[in-house]
Amino acid sequence: MDDNKYIEEINSAKSQEQLSELEIKLLGRNGIINDLLSKIKDIPNDEKREYGQKINMLKTSIDQSIKVKKIELSKQKSSVFFDKTLPGKAYPKGSIHIVSYAVEEISKIFEKIGFIRVSYPEVDWEYGAFESLNMPSNHPARDDVETSFIDVPAHLKLGKMVLTPHTSNGQNREMKRVGKPPIRMINISKCYRPNWDPTHTPMFHQFEGLCVDSDINIINLRGTLDYFAEIYFGKGTKTRLRPHHFQFTEPSFEVDISCNACKGVGTIHELSVQKKCRVCKSGWLELGGTGMVHPNVLKEGGIDPSASSGWAFGFGIERVIMMKYGLDDIRNYYSGDIRFLEQF
Amino acid sequence: MNIRITYNWLLDYLDTDATPDQIREYLSLCGPSIESVEKIGDDYVFDIEVISNRIDYASVIGIAQEAVAILPMFGKNAKFKKNPLEKYNFKNITVGNKNICSLHVKITDPKLCPRFTAIVIENVLISKSPSFIKERLIACGIKSINNVVDISNYLMLSLGQPVHTFDYDQIKGSTMIMRESKKGEKIITLDEKEVTLPGGDIVIEDGSGRLVDLCGIMGGLNSSITDKTKNVLLFVQTYDKVKIRKTTMSTGVRTVAATFFEKGLDPERVEPTLAYGVELLEKYTGGKVGSKIYDIYPKKPEKKLLVMSYGVFGKKIGVEIPKKTINEILTNLGFLVEHDGSTLRITVPSFRVNDIDIPEDIVEEVARVYGYHNIPSKLQPAVYVEQPKEMEDLFVFQNRIKIFLKHLGLNEVINYSMISRSMIEDGGLKIEDHLRLSNSLSEDIEFLRISLLPSLAKNIKENMGKTRYNTAPGLKLFEIAKVYIPVGNKNICSLPNEIYRLGIAVNTDYADLKGIVEAVYRELNIPDDLSVPEIVDKNGVFMTEIDFQTLIDNCQLVPTYKPLHPYAIIKLDKTFEINPKKTYDIIQKMAFKSKLLQKIEVVTLYQNKLTLRFYYSSPEKNITESDAKSELEKL
Repeated sequence: MDDNKYIEEINSAKSQEQLSELEIKLLGRNGIINDLLSKIKDIPNDEKREYGQKINMLKTSIDQSIKVKKIELSKQKSSVFFDKTLPGKAYPKGSIHIVSYAVEEISKIFEKIGFIRVSYPEVDWEYGAFESLNMPSNHPARDDVETSFIDVPAHLKLGKMVLTPHTSNGQNREMKRVGKPPIRMINISKCYRPNWDPTHTPMFHQFEGLCVDSDINIINLRGTLDYFAEIYFGKGTKTRLRPHHFQFTEPSFEVDISCNACKGVGTIHELSVQKKCRVCKSGWLELGGTGMVHPNVLKEGGIDPSASSGWAFGFGIERVIMMKYGLDDIRNYYSGDIRFLEQF
Repeated sequence: MNIRITYNWLLDYLDTDATPDQIREYLSLCGPSIESVEKIGDDYVFDIEVISNRIDYASVIGIAQEAVAILPMFGKNAKFKKNPLEKYNFKNITVGNKNICSLHVKITDPKLCPRFTAIVIENVLISKSPSFIKERLIACGIKSINNVVDISNYLMLSLGQPVHTFDYDQIKGSTMIMRESKKGEKIITLDEKEVTLPGGDIVIEDGSGRLVDLCGIMGGLNSSITDKTKNVLLFVQTYDKVKIRKTTMSTGVRTVAATFFEKGLDPERVEPTLAYGVELLEKYTGGKVGSKIYDIYPKKPEKKLLVMSYGVFGKKIGVEIPKKTINEILTNLGFLVEHDGSTLRITVPSFRVNDIDIPEDIVEEVARVYGYHNIPSKLQPAVYVEQPKEMEDLFVFQNRIKIFLKHLGLNEVINYSMISRSMIEDGGLKIEDHLRLSNSLSEDIEFLRISLLPSLAKNIKENMGKTRYNTAPGLKLFEIAKVYIPVGNKNICSLPNEIYRLGIAVNTDYADLKGIVEAVYRELNIPDDLSVPEIVDKNGVFMTEIDFQTLIDNCQLVPTYKPLHPYAIIKLDKTFEINPKKTYDIIQKMAFKSKLLQKIEVVTLYQNKLTLRFYYSSPEKNITESDAKSELEKL
């Protein structure tokens, strides 16, 4: 019996397969060890005990060597190439609509400063969409707000039934719900206007902020807009107010935010040439309309304008998404095209 | 609306050291938005947005007034050189002794025309305009026609008061009857188009009964200025703005003049416009005044006075603006300011009476000119406002389910709330159950949906052939949105019930969709007894929708806790032959009669052979296999 021969054979095995073959050859049912054991009957009786012990020792040492070699081989690279750069197991990945992301993000931003999100009807009477907002019937200001009407008889007092053209119908409803200030409302909803072209869809989303309290002034409106712009569009984003006119606010403003592409300068350096910024017109991008709540709107909501004041704004969700992420083909938003949806 | 004026034109009235770019920047911050400055020749053209309540600044003089107030706030000089509104009046017009031309005017209702003025300029020579008028008009986007027509356009842009010129000799009988039109009356306007009038429009009929003017909108072709015109009737009016608006909207004849008149103009502006017009016509057409001045002005508007305290400014704006600055700003904008101590008495200039009503309007004037950029920025104090629980739940759960379904591999879609007739019919729904839009842009979006399924079915259909960067099997879409259930009947309607639903559509298989719904239930810890709503199978598209409130009502934030126990769980498999009378549902209901059964699992289904695994256990003691077997045998 050449013990070392077997151990050497084991130690020189190059692969798990070779080792398995050896294991069978040595320890298998018809293997060498069993063969040796079966020969015990030919051994003289007084040597049988020693013979048996020897074989058992051999078996143990082969067994151990194989185990050791197995571990050793398993540490070596397998002969079949294992590509660790391959992707892992594929788990399903769905998507959430880009508008849903924005709605959540915006709700959270305002939640942090104590604004509660509310839900009000998308189908309302003209009263809610216009009269309660200081826009009497036949007022030309209604022209600026093209409206989709519902084909049902008009309400005797509240006018025709409309699809809300803006989230501002939430103002009067929130004032009446709360009863008395303070009000800190964020109303996010679908809105509808009969416009359908490359830059308009007949349905869109707005978020409306309304803040009413005993001493709310323009400083607070600016503070809120700056806070929103910095968090939503990024640190360093500035806002500016420009005079404008809306029936439901006085004073009224348009808000611009500084362009992040050119940092509000209006020009960018491209290959050491000064060029007009392609993203904005002049360093600023128009965000939307805002203003201090008109006293008539407060009155209509049952709030005494001599004791309380407030600000309000209404901005387009699609617009802020466009400004932040550059997703400018708004028609894709609601086309249901899976190639658009699955990207988010 | 936008207007275009030029820098040099502005300098006719304004003395300033501000450059065109500075004017653009400073005015945009504090007043009219100047959207662009364009260099044309040696002049610059401003493109200016006119907001609907500020028709008063839609002119060179209007912008000059704004500049006088705004530019000094930026350290620039700005003073009126000559204010044509003060310089020009009827006294400037030399009316000769022999006025051959006369005009018989009758206005049937004084409300139609708050102020009517007219004058004849005789012996004009129709020719080209002087180059400065021509160049300025062209730079401002107005076609140059001839000296008379160009002067009327020049007057409008200079002073913001549209003007019309007639060929005086074409006004038959020198007679003008201003009245409301009858329904169906026709007029051929200057652009040679026939307009059929809806009735109630302001028109002028001459002595022969012809309509010669669709007032405030466009003149008649029959009395327009031609190369042969000898005598010009210069015509300056203000009109009932509501009537002008109604006519221009209903006839579709939208002219620049109409966009002015429909906003309501200042009758006081009529006089300087007529006087300036006479000067220009005499100078550039060679004509002379040939009639007296016709001025029908039955009711001069009363002065508008506002009394307010200085304290209001600080309260509304948030910063104290010095009284002196407040007074200066208002005076420079044309307001007359008197003050004693803390009280201000403000007389509103005639050209601002339409937009200045309340102290807040005055606050706006002061705040904007003072500069919104000079107002600090600070959040209001935080307060706690309670959010109604039902609103909070709605948003919290919507978001949770969206994220969950996304993780299951579904794609969220947002569809229009309006759908087409054919989508309703394809979905097996009734048209009359839907609210209809009366002014829909397209039949694709005519009805408000009462179910999300027609839209989802359409989504799947339209996406089937699309090549994607994704080989995941099948399409799985969901939408969370409102449906609009009509309330009331044909005669009396309430607002519809707006109900949120969760709609899911897949084109894989029935079990896939059912599994998704069950997974949603598990995610929300909804008890097992809430059944999965009906699943519609439409040519291999499986769809269902769930009332969102039902999900909220049945959900549990944390599932009911079952105490842990150390006792054995016995698992037994059994195969059933299922048929309509022995469904899984029936088997499981039977099986759960056993108090020891904790759970059932489907192991395999081969044809109608269903193998189920039953988990038996007791929280009180160890049960034996034979205990479990005897429970199972009861089935």
